[in-house]
Amino acid sequence: MTGLPWLSVLVFLPVAGALLLALLPAQRPLLVKQAAAVITLLDLLLAGMLWTAFDASSTAIQFVHQAPWVPPLKITYYLGVDGLSLPLVLLTALLGFLAVLVSWNINHRVKLYFALLLVLQTGVLGVFTALDFVLFFLFWEVELLPMYLLIAIWGSPPPLGRREYSAMKFLIYTILGSAFMLVGLLALYFSTGTFNLVDMARADLRNTAVPATLIFWLIFFAFAVKLPVFPFHTWLPDAHTDAPTAVSVILAGVLLKMGGYGMLRICVSLFPQVAYTWAPTLALLAVVNVLYGALVTLRQGDLKRLIAYSSVSHMGYVLLGIAALGEVGLTGAVLQMVTHGTITGLLFALVGLVYDKTHTRQIPELGGLAHRMPFIATVFMIAGLASLGLPTMSGFASEFLVFVGTFPVFGWYTLLGASGIVLTAGYILWMLERSFFRGPLARFDHVGDATLLERVPLVVLVATIMIVGLWPRAVTDVIRAGLQPILSRLG
Amino acid sequence: MNLGMESAWLLPALCLLAFLILSMGALWGYARFLPDGGSWLAILAIGSGFVLFWPIAGDLLARGATAFSTPWIDVAGAHLELGMALDPLAVIMLGLVTFVALCVQVYSLGYMRGEAHYTWYFAAHSLFAAAMLGLVLADNFLLLYVAWELVGLCSYLLIGFYYERRSAAEAAKKAFVTTRLGDVGMLIGILLLFRATGTFQMSEIFHQVERGALDPGLVSAAAFLVFMGAMGKSAQFPFHVWLPDAMEGPTPVSALIHAATMVAAGVYLVARTYPLFVAAPAVLGFVTAIGLLTTLLAGSMALVMTDIKKVIAYSTVSKLGFMMVALGAGGAGLTAAIFYLATHGFFKALLFLGAGSVIHSTGHQDLSEVGGLGKKMPVTAGAFLVASLALAGVPPLSGFWSKDEALLAIQAGQGWLVYSLALVSVMLSAAYTGRLWFRLFAGEPKGAASQHAHESPWVMGLPMLALAALSLVSGFVALPEVGVALGLPGGLGQFLFFHEPEPFHFDPGVAFTSTVAALLGLAMAAGFYWQRAWSPAALQEMFAGLHRVLINKYYLDDLYQAVIDRVVLAFGAFIALFDRVVVNDTGVNGTGAIAVIAGEKLKYTETGKLPNYALAMAVGVLGVLLAAALTLLSR
Repeated sequence: MTGLPWLSVLVFLPVAGALLLALLPAQRPLLVKQAAAVITLLDLLLAGMLWTAFDASSTAIQFVHQAPWVPPLKITYYLGVDGLSLPLVLLTALLGFLAVLVSWNINHRVKLYFALLLVLQTGVLGVFTALDFVLFFLFWEVELLPMYLLIAIWGSPPPLGRREYSAMKFLIYTILGSAFMLVGLLALYFSTGTFNLVDMARADLRNTAVPATLIFWLIFFAFAVKLPVFPFHTWLPDAHTDAPTAVSVILAGVLLKMGGYGMLRICVSLFPQVAYTWAPTLALLAVVNVLYGALVTLRQGDLKRLIAYSSVSHMGYVLLGIAALGEVGLTGAVLQMVTHGTITGLLFALVGLVYDKTHTRQIPELGGLAHRMPFIATVFMIAGLASLGLPTMSGFASEFLVFVGTFPVFGWYTLLGASGIVLTAGYILWMLERSFFRGPLARFDHVGDATLLERVPLVVLVATIMIVGLWPRAVTDVIRAGLQPILSRLG
Repeated sequence: MNLGMESAWLLPALCLLAFLILSMGALWGYARFLPDGGSWLAILAIGSGFVLFWPIAGDLLARGATAFSTPWIDVAGAHLELGMALDPLAVIMLGLVTFVALCVQVYSLGYMRGEAHYTWYFAAHSLFAAAMLGLVLADNFLLLYVAWELVGLCSYLLIGFYYERRSAAEAAKKAFVTTRLGDVGMLIGILLLFRATGTFQMSEIFHQVERGALDPGLVSAAAFLVFMGAMGKSAQFPFHVWLPDAMEGPTPVSALIHAATMVAAGVYLVARTYPLFVAAPAVLGFVTAIGLLTTLLAGSMALVMTDIKKVIAYSTVSKLGFMMVALGAGGAGLTAAIFYLATHGFFKALLFLGAGSVIHSTGHQDLSEVGGLGKKMPVTAGAFLVASLALAGVPPLSGFWSKDEALLAIQAGQGWLVYSLALVSVMLSAAYTGRLWFRLFAGEPKGAASQHAHESPWVMGLPMLALAALSLVSGFVALPEVGVALGLPGGLGQFLFFHEPEPFHFDPGVAFTSTVAALLGLAMAAGFYWQRAWSPAALQEMFAGLHRVLINKYYLDDLYQAVIDRVVLAFGAFIALFDRVVVNDTGVNGTGAIAVIAGEKLKYTETGKLPNYALAMAVGVLGVLLAAALTLLSR
């Protein structure tokens, strides 16, 4: 893996692909889709190559590409991955490719849609690989605009949804978070004289220009909005509900993880002492997320809203794992990001299929679908069981690690968090029963099952969920390498 | 190839393989190319398991217990391993599970013939067998929990096999959620033990418990929490409500999962983690109390149910409670409970298969619609009779020996009150099982369906006869002479015991009392339903209030439904409303609105006059300085 700066190729291939799409004739939508699929598949293969070439026994940043960028301000172009970011990079590339397949039925302004999807992928990959704070911030912002447009243009129109409201809400919320992050970023720069995140983490941050606690929370807020953390979560159900299927997949699958990743890469890495001091508060927020999210989910009648709120609940486990500030909990938190990405990505893809075929997402209107779409029903069941943490599937491995890692630290918070899995079982099984079981309904007599093309993303994601569930070491060994620098700073 | 204990993993692995082939075949549609939908693959897997069981058991007798493991997750502070161990307890369960599963799967060839999802049915059976075998082989809590959840999944899938029926779909959900409540307790108990000992390895944890290295309060808490899992799985009060509803599944499933094996896993779990319970006498007392309450509640409900399967289901709940009472007695209670578990596995599976035979033949399962089938279905009636007498505990059938071992342990460990109540439970068992047999098989055929009834095919009859044979004779294994003849060191108590081998006791007093209780129960049933000396209707009239309470299952199901609807879901609705109205509409949209209004107002402050800006700047700087001073002072 020498020669080309492969990481930069990985990050910028999608945006180059977006430019290529612009050159294609608009009257040939299939060609546009095929091109987008090829580009994202190449990106996925590249990410897979990096995964195999990655040395999990080393804790160093790997595949580094570094160049001066704005020398007077010491801003550098600095990309690299470690065990923390690599799983998320692979996840992004995987879901990016599958999102293109999931979007095969898009027929409105096809070129723009796929171009935006590709730009979005560059933004997210950039966030996970940038190691210069300014570059990180830039990528963080790059992701916003395509997301806004994708929801606002291809989302659910009234009266079904409020796509413009939801898109705007997503935009304002994230920008508000970004504003806080920018202040924190500048405060850090004036304290350390560098934007290099690796150097910042080594710097002495005990005497900063602004109190370290304040910087921590300023930056944390931006990530808390993204994760999302109660009470800043309400953009999520709206954005998810009104987004087109593929965008929901990306949103739940990788965009939320930017929040958890940022907390680890920046908040915990740079301010371990502050994190220690506030760990109980973080754990409390996490438990509120888990239970509050689960309770709200119990009462959702819309398939998409239900899964969206369940994400709020599941991301609570990420925060809980982070708050424990130990190797097991942190491993669980990162693994939970990966597993939630695949499981919820799969669930949204399935909801999209159900909606395409039945034209409704209202659970009370559904029923008996297993008779008409046995394949979709089976995969939906697998995804649901994975979501409720059934052993042998990835969700169990990550939640179990979070419980094991946090119980010695927090005790009661872990107990409360763990009790959330009963509520999860309740809403998931209720959803499955009402949508797929019971007798066949006449109005769905002509509804078909998934086509071969539609089955591809489903099968790939189920395979991923099972592999990680049965053999979590495939991922945890990589994560472990990435956590060592943080753990050494935590002492 | 050496087929010793180390090859025990093959048993679950073969079944898992069968599951993978069959489930993929069902999903992608290639199963229709397999002869008979691939059912033989499932039977081949479990049959091989049953064959492999013998050399493994022989090796265990020759070499003694052993353990082996493989790493799963390796993180500092959590080296999670999936470990297996083979000891007398595990090997007895292996034999029971492979044998009953084999019988039930062969029986299913006849019972399920022509069903939609035929291949899927056998796939789910294979997954269940794999998980159940993994469960009994597990020697660490992690693998145990994994297998524990998987058997629960299979139970869910098979209860919901006829998912087009609303009642089946709801029963499946109810079973999963109810048992999961207990499972969370168990999970927390496991975490508690892990926090204290740093391992999931059971032998290591028990070693520390017995050395007294752990805080007694912690051991009690852990034992209680582990017992919560057992209560869920073994349908103990107050979690028992799911099991009768689980009868929505196909009848062979009820025989295997909801009678002989999975529901007994709770009893097995308590036996497996017995050192915890012995170190926590208060929890052991709690086990007794719950078991007693369960056995009496369920036994009384079994008396009034008219659905054949529900009668047997409540009987199962009652008998599981009885095993818990035996476990609560400590020491010899473990041998007795597992002895009872095994014999119960045979005769209770047989009862369900017999019920299935009746249902298969008549298409009905309510006592008001079928009856008097003795002459039409002699094989079923005979097998059912053997199972009923074993359940009632009539000598010399298997149930007599195992029940007496349990009663002896209870008498020694629990005192006369618990012992007398256990005897009441024995009498109740005899009464309801007698009622069931007399109503089903005695007298003349009842109704058109019974008139046209016929004996089931041999593929269903043969497994019933095999189980009947074991229901007859398996109790003799308690006798030292029989045990030695089978290669055991002595009677069952010399092979399976907690710390001290249990020599075979025979107390004529206990045997006499329990037999009288059983005969009394049977006599009452005969008096009401065979000789018709007394009228059940009159009795029902006399105790109308009590009958109403029993037929309504002590109103517990209604109570739970009310709690779920009025408390859990209502609270969820409140939080959901709060989320929309307070957090979103007020907090988020409100902030947005304030920003817009504020912008509207603030634009008038943009005066363009320098002094105004200067003043604002001064105020701002002052504010920053003040904040800085406060921060410095607060250090």
